[in-house]
Amino acid sequence: MIDAARPAADKGMPVDSPDAEAVDARDPGGARSSRFVAGVLLLVLAGMWVAGWLSGTSAEDMLSLTAWGVMLGGIIALGGIGLTLCYGVLKFPNFAHGEFLTLGAYVTYGMVLVLPQSDPIWRFSFGWELLAGLLVAAAVTAVVAIVIDRLLYRPLRRHQSPLVLLAMASLGMEFLLRGIVYLVWGSDFHFYYSGRSNPALYLPFGLRLQADQLFVFALALVLVALLYWMLTRTRIGKAMRATADNPDLAQVRGIDTEQVVAWTWTIGAGLAAVGGVMYGLASQMRPDMGFVLLLPLFAGVIMGGIGSAWGALVGSIIIGVAMQLTSAFLNPAYGPAVAFVLMVLVLLMRPQGLFAQR
Amino acid sequence: MPLLRVDAVTAGYGDTEILRAVSIRVEADEVVAIIGPNGAGKSTLMKTIFGLLHPRQGAIAFDGHDITHQAPHRIVRLGMCYVPQVANVFTSLTVEENLEMGAFPMGKVDLSANKDRVYAMFPKLRQRRRQLAGKMSGGERQMVAMGSALMMNPRLLLLDEPTAALSPKLVEEIFERIARINDSGVGILMVEQNARQSLGMAHRGYVLANGENRHEGTGRDLLEDPNVGRLYLGG
Repeated sequence: MIDAARPAADKGMPVDSPDAEAVDARDPGGARSSRFVAGVLLLVLAGMWVAGWLSGTSAEDMLSLTAWGVMLGGIIALGGIGLTLCYGVLKFPNFAHGEFLTLGAYVTYGMVLVLPQSDPIWRFSFGWELLAGLLVAAAVTAVVAIVIDRLLYRPLRRHQSPLVLLAMASLGMEFLLRGIVYLVWGSDFHFYYSGRSNPALYLPFGLRLQADQLFVFALALVLVALLYWMLTRTRIGKAMRATADNPDLAQVRGIDTEQVVAWTWTIGAGLAAVGGVMYGLASQMRPDMGFVLLLPLFAGVIMGGIGSAWGALVGSIIIGVAMQLTSAFLNPAYGPAVAFVLMVLVLLMRPQGLFAQR
Repeated sequence: MPLLRVDAVTAGYGDTEILRAVSIRVEADEVVAIIGPNGAGKSTLMKTIFGLLHPRQGAIAFDGHDITHQAPHRIVRLGMCYVPQVANVFTSLTVEENLEMGAFPMGKVDLSANKDRVYAMFPKLRQRRRQLAGKMSGGERQMVAMGSALMMNPRLLLLDEPTAALSPKLVEEIFERIARINDSGVGILMVEQNARQSLGMAHRGYVLANGENRHEGTGRDLLEDPNVGRLYLGG
């Protein structure tokens, strides 16, 4: 269920509504309230802070790591929202979703190579050609997602295939798309602008951030806000939530569910493409970047409560921060492991995830 | 020409045949009740009429259009709406959003007149329009479901057991609303467990048993028919 409407529906209500409490009371498994779980998560993050500090990282650096974590969380959220929308409307986990990030990043890279280059905008490392490429990449990725749906998922849907079949088909699609990226762009790492310097800005409290990193997080926030507006205010957004809630009734009400599915792919893949570009900008482009991000993506979405756009954002930011903080005292290669430990911790306390209603 | 005409329809799931050559009709502005024991195929008949299940034989026509193999979202546009028995509201949407989804096929148009009409029919919904439908009681949900179906200004409303699992007082209220909806010029085809009450308000009724037509007549005739009374109305 895409429950983005919840805060709008009961304005001013805390995230943990009385209803959630009531559900908890009835739950025989004794699931904890989201407030309790959020408290535990904050304690865990604080523990990571202290551990990093004890291992010799300065407080300023820990603060910078936290800020980078929020930014990484923004990137994960851009991918995660599509994953959660897709699960809500189509009821299967799309393992090929990571490749939408890769595809977005590489199509933008191709555009940047082709387009005339402008001077860098403000203190960013990129010029207008990257933003133009971003728009093209989002559109191309959305079209690819819709074509894949028509060729692969829709026939399976028509035959009412079980969930596991759709999930495995998407896993196959993940490998196929990754192979195509390897074929077209090779296995080397790429940078949008190799050699161009992107000095850190010195912000208050000893915080060091690159202008690009600020851009990444601001864009993620704007896009999530736009999505929220779309889901709660527009006709097609409400139809997406209705279809996720009850596909049979959506059909009965005259909602063209195939049209809703096409919109879901457009938005999910478009946002993922933007997330991929942001990741390419913040670190580098690798053919396996989407696959590497897939695990944190799932962790963020499941932790937030699968099907909830709001949960995907919050879960992703927690995952992003945790992955960065632990890099102060752990090899960063353990990042996905950290993500999964946190996810399991949340699920043990609250199996439905942080924000899910049931 | 009747508004709805179901002609010798045979339908079922997989290898199981549930309906066998069932025929019914609904005239414009009429209330028609379908009663019968559990498993008689009443709900299956509703789903088949609405295009959720495809008939194997027979034909269905609505308002002069052949809808035998038509998809639900096209049938809705022709002016027939359906209220399923269970899961008939979007629980994570507000009451108002539920109503808006009822008018989805109309496209991007101003729906305030349609909403006002539904709120006039169900005043309670106006006060609670920002509430999530999932947090409402069974009777209120039924009103949200009927209200959503009325957003399209249908000429025929299919109701699948609108009073199931409601208290006697609420049953009374729902039947009263159904009569008012009918007064406003909407034909009603309903399946009911509360057989006496539904036949009491229906212009005509059908008794379905074992997936076949068993009896047919005006509501009064069926209520007074000793065979119908003994077998289907509990004596």
